[in-house]
Amino acid sequence: MAGVSLRSIIKRYGALQVVHGIDLEVAEQEFVVLVGPSGCGKSTTLRMIAGLEDISEGELSIDGRFMNRVAPKDRDVAMVFQNYALYPHLNVADNMAFGLRIRRMPKDQIATTISETAEILGLTDYLDRRPADLSGGQRQRVAMGRAIVRHPKVFLFDEPLSNLDAKLRTQMRAEIKRLHNRLGVTSIYVTHDQVEAMTLADRIVVMNDGRIEQVGTPMELFNNPVNTFVAGFLGSPPMNQVKGVLTETGARIGGMDVSLNGAINGHAGRDVIVGIRPEHVMLEPGDATSSLPIELDLVEPLGSEALLHARFGQDNMVFKADTNGEIAHLSGVKQVHVPADLIKLFDAETGRALELGA
Amino acid sequence: MLNWNLYSRGDKFFAIVVSVMIGMFTAATLYPFIYIAAVSFSSGFAAQAGKVVLPPIDATLEAYGYIIGDPKFWISYRNTFIYTIGGTLMSLAFIIPGAYALSRPQLKGRRFFNLFIAFTMWFNAGLIPFFLNMRDLNLLDSMFGIILAFAVNAFNIILLRNFFEAIPRSFEEAARMDGANDFQVLWKVFIPLSKPAIATITLFCIVSRWNGFFWAMVLLQSEDKIPLQVFLRHTIATLSDNDEFAIVQTDAGFSAETVTAAIIVCSIIPVLIVYPFIQKYFEKGILLGGVKE
Repeated sequence: MAGVSLRSIIKRYGALQVVHGIDLEVAEQEFVVLVGPSGCGKSTTLRMIAGLEDISEGELSIDGRFMNRVAPKDRDVAMVFQNYALYPHLNVADNMAFGLRIRRMPKDQIATTISETAEILGLTDYLDRRPADLSGGQRQRVAMGRAIVRHPKVFLFDEPLSNLDAKLRTQMRAEIKRLHNRLGVTSIYVTHDQVEAMTLADRIVVMNDGRIEQVGTPMELFNNPVNTFVAGFLGSPPMNQVKGVLTETGARIGGMDVSLNGAINGHAGRDVIVGIRPEHVMLEPGDATSSLPIELDLVEPLGSEALLHARFGQDNMVFKADTNGEIAHLSGVKQVHVPADLIKLFDAETGRALELGA
Repeated sequence: MLNWNLYSRGDKFFAIVVSVMIGMFTAATLYPFIYIAAVSFSSGFAAQAGKVVLPPIDATLEAYGYIIGDPKFWISYRNTFIYTIGGTLMSLAFIIPGAYALSRPQLKGRRFFNLFIAFTMWFNAGLIPFFLNMRDLNLLDSMFGIILAFAVNAFNIILLRNFFEAIPRSFEEAARMDGANDFQVLWKVFIPLSKPAIATITLFCIVSRWNGFFWAMVLLQSEDKIPLQVFLRHTIATLSDNDEFAIVQTDAGFSAETVTAAIIVCSIIPVLIVYPFIQKYFEKGILLGGVKE
């Protein structure tokens, strides 16, 4: 078990710089998820940790050891690939034993390790099968088994669930979480799926354009995004962001005044982006709520709740509402109410979160 | 079952034309072989008179009896096996690592080396410089010389390189993470995954080595080193204008034609035997299931 430390990591391909100085400390036994849109540098960062890509600048250490120029096999990390990368000519047992044989582990020890791991992953009945004879979920498990048998210091996951269908993905997500709880190995997990990030992570690292936007626990990031990018990336559906301007008493958006928690303190007149989470919107007025008139456009029932797509002034907004088993009452919604204490403010120019004075 | 109702008239016509053409091609390919086999089993008189068309005339095994009794036939047969097996192994020993190296993006100067290899497909030194080169290397009239000289073949390297390049990168990366070095990645992952391509190249090597005639004739002088194809040529040359042989054969019931045909049949049989064993590796889809794209 070991921590991973990245200091000012930069990756360049020729003149093109794709990772611009990543600083990150992953604690021992921690499960850290790197999340961000395609091309944000998260996979490249993971591959640099694995040793599959050179580090152009900066320092990588694993378990306190400087790793920049250490070969992948000597870093004591194991990786689960997006496309599984199982050896098609070997059966499940041989796939898992591959790394152990190369490291010249004694035969009886290999056999014990494989059967223990197969037991954990529910693969005992499939040890003789080739990858082509397995389902997607089973292949994914074999790929994890191949990583687990080596008892590495760090697990690296490169979008391991993105090739599975939605139902299987949910199952495997839970299995990965259970596995981590059981084995307690430091894990770094790359995904573009914010639901995976939220559910799996001890800490989430949101990346964009080769930079870290924010690092924190899932709830920290959800409740206090540092900028509009993080606010828009986490949460499903994402936070509504509406242009507005601060007034003496609150904020004005789409011709309506909304009250805010905290003192404006001379910020009046400042252009802002007002962020409202879909799930924070209420259909009935409550304490310290502001009403917003909306034009309902579409109701999407999800079962226990529904998504209301609406026009508010010039903007499109999405709200979440409880259905209580039916959606008929939602089609007549003409206004919604937002609680002052749950509204987020961002600077209109920089997109950074604004804190109002007490 | 083929359901003709699903075919339009044009499709039916096309299918018939294609079938006829395939039939003609098959006949054109098979007939020379059948003809040679028929001649080898015919009497010398019938063969000389040009009477053999399809079945053997006055069937006899005397031509085979004659060549089997000739020790030089067995020596050349043995030599051909040595050149074929040794040469093929030597070729694979060069071609597989060469193709692997050329297929790796991390190889420095990869473009240059690829161009360099491909260059030899279009341009080479030619007969005389090659002969002089072999002479200077002391490889004339040497069995090892024959095995070594034709070991590297640019076409086969490029064929295998392309196959290696098509293998998803993550196999190599997974093996590296598992602790494999370059040699282990090649030996334990790439070679097993490339069986169809390697089988193809092996067959190419075997056939070209087995039939290798010209260079063996140019480079080898000793009779105990020549391969079967060169022995065949010697036989044709000597039997055709050998009076003594002409006298023997009238009694013996074989002729230069039937003896030549018998040697050809003997030289084809091993290739026919080897092919089915290699063919089983021509199975497709060995990569199936390993990665999901």
